[in-house]
Amino acid sequence: MTAKTQPSALPPLPRPPAAMRRNQALMVAGAIGSVVLLVIVLITMDMPPWTRVVTGLQRSFPPLWRGFSRPDWELFPLAFNAMTETFFMAILGTILGGVLAFSLAFLASGNLLGGTRWALPGKAILVAIRTFPEILLAIIFVAAAGPGPTAGIMAMGIHSIGFLGKIFSDVIEGIDQGPMEAIRASGGNQLHVFIHSVVPQVLPEFMSNLLYRFEINLRSAAVLGLVGAGGIGGPLIQRLQFRRWDEISMLLLVIIAFVVVVDAISSRLRRNLV
Amino acid sequence: MAADAGPVPGTLPRPPLAGRLRSLLTFAIAAAIVVIAYRQTNFNIASLFEGTSDFFKFLGRLAPDWSYLPSVWKPLIETLQIAYVGTFFGTLIAMPLIFLSSRNTANDPISMWIARILLTVLRSIPDLLWAALLVPILVVGPLPGAVALTMFTIGVLAKLGSETVEAIDPGPLEALRASGAGKVATIVFAVVPQVAATMISYILYSFEINVRASVIIGLVGAGGIGFLLQVRLNFFDYTAVGLIIVVIFAVVLIIDGISVWARSKLI
Repeated sequence: MTAKTQPSALPPLPRPPAAMRRNQALMVAGAIGSVVLLVIVLITMDMPPWTRVVTGLQRSFPPLWRGFSRPDWELFPLAFNAMTETFFMAILGTILGGVLAFSLAFLASGNLLGGTRWALPGKAILVAIRTFPEILLAIIFVAAAGPGPTAGIMAMGIHSIGFLGKIFSDVIEGIDQGPMEAIRASGGNQLHVFIHSVVPQVLPEFMSNLLYRFEINLRSAAVLGLVGAGGIGGPLIQRLQFRRWDEISMLLLVIIAFVVVVDAISSRLRRNLV
Repeated sequence: MAADAGPVPGTLPRPPLAGRLRSLLTFAIAAAIVVIAYRQTNFNIASLFEGTSDFFKFLGRLAPDWSYLPSVWKPLIETLQIAYVGTFFGTLIAMPLIFLSSRNTANDPISMWIARILLTVLRSIPDLLWAALLVPILVVGPLPGAVALTMFTIGVLAKLGSETVEAIDPGPLEALRASGAGKVATIVFAVVPQVAATMISYILYSFEINVRASVIIGLVGAGGIGFLLQVRLNFFDYTAVGLIIVVIFAVVLIIDGISVWARSKLI
């Protein structure tokens, strides 16, 4: 037995460096600030009285539980067909967006236009499209063309341009200049450069992002029907108005199953692509 | 002379047959799916431009009525409040779920898989659908909207967060475990310092998504400016609808700009 070392004999920990202390102070200040802001927001917000919420919950919980514990399987064929329509809407919307974005992306790529500033108008258009909420596009198309899948497909197609165009132009701006120069040096014209050096380099990335957008669009296609733009959202909103929870739970089950399965397949395909 | 000339200059060698067949097959399958989709959905782009419901004429009717602007402020502020409350509580609930669902910080495999399945289900329901589901349960107004955004934020943030946590340097984690630190101490001193900046950036990103969502969830009765939009639409008051659309567009653009700027400062 050697000398007993007391825990208290340990030297105190060194003070953390100044930069770290400043960051910690900033984080604490940020946390306190956001809680204060939350209290202000909650006080000024137009919340219903808690007693009303609680009695409402007490009233709606038993039918909710009954509905969700026993989904109505008689509705399965209808739910499945509506979700298939949703699925096809998402496919067409993605393809439409892809084709339009493909042409716009080249107008937003600095390296093909001979300077970053020439790409600015194209980039601005893409930001504007990306920012405009998809469901508002759907409302406009439904009001103009009447309810149905066409309005939903158009909304998805137009909205997808923003995301896909940005990704596509990022990919184009990141390509290797070598093959382009090689084709120019061997006497190829702009078209040859485009077909034999730009397209082969960007195609796998394009396809991968098109699939990713398809996953996003399948989710939005499921809700576009809430404003009458086709797909499973239509039957869903009708039943929500009448609180038919057993039928709602069936529809939700089909939506979740479709989304999870399609996500799994699509992410597997994407892994093989890139 | 012709015997060993090799490939004729000017023609490229053909790609291998198997590769060509595979790309041909992929293309054929993709084309078939598109044709089926086209027929199944009765997609008809011409219907947008036919007769009385001409799309561009309709756009003309949406010309914004600027005198309606004062009635927009209150619901607009409510929209931002909903987005803030949803982001706050979503973040709060997502935090423990991040550590439960990440492989390197999980307590045990069973709770990890339960957390992961829960998060997958939360994520597979879009924000607008959450709102539509919660409105009949929680009284029309901002409350179901805030709860809907909370649900959606949990799904998105926990997914992004657990990807970040799983990618951290395992060194500090092992060092703390080796020195006998408890679970909470390990997470606070080994994981949090490594992920804090990225997480704050993700929280801002969630707020950005939530602002986008909060402007539209009112369409199904969950409060905010979307609710006003729904009411005006039902009255076919298209000039007011036009104005509301312009305001929504401007707000989303501004919040996006601020959030992108703040995030670029962080990392």
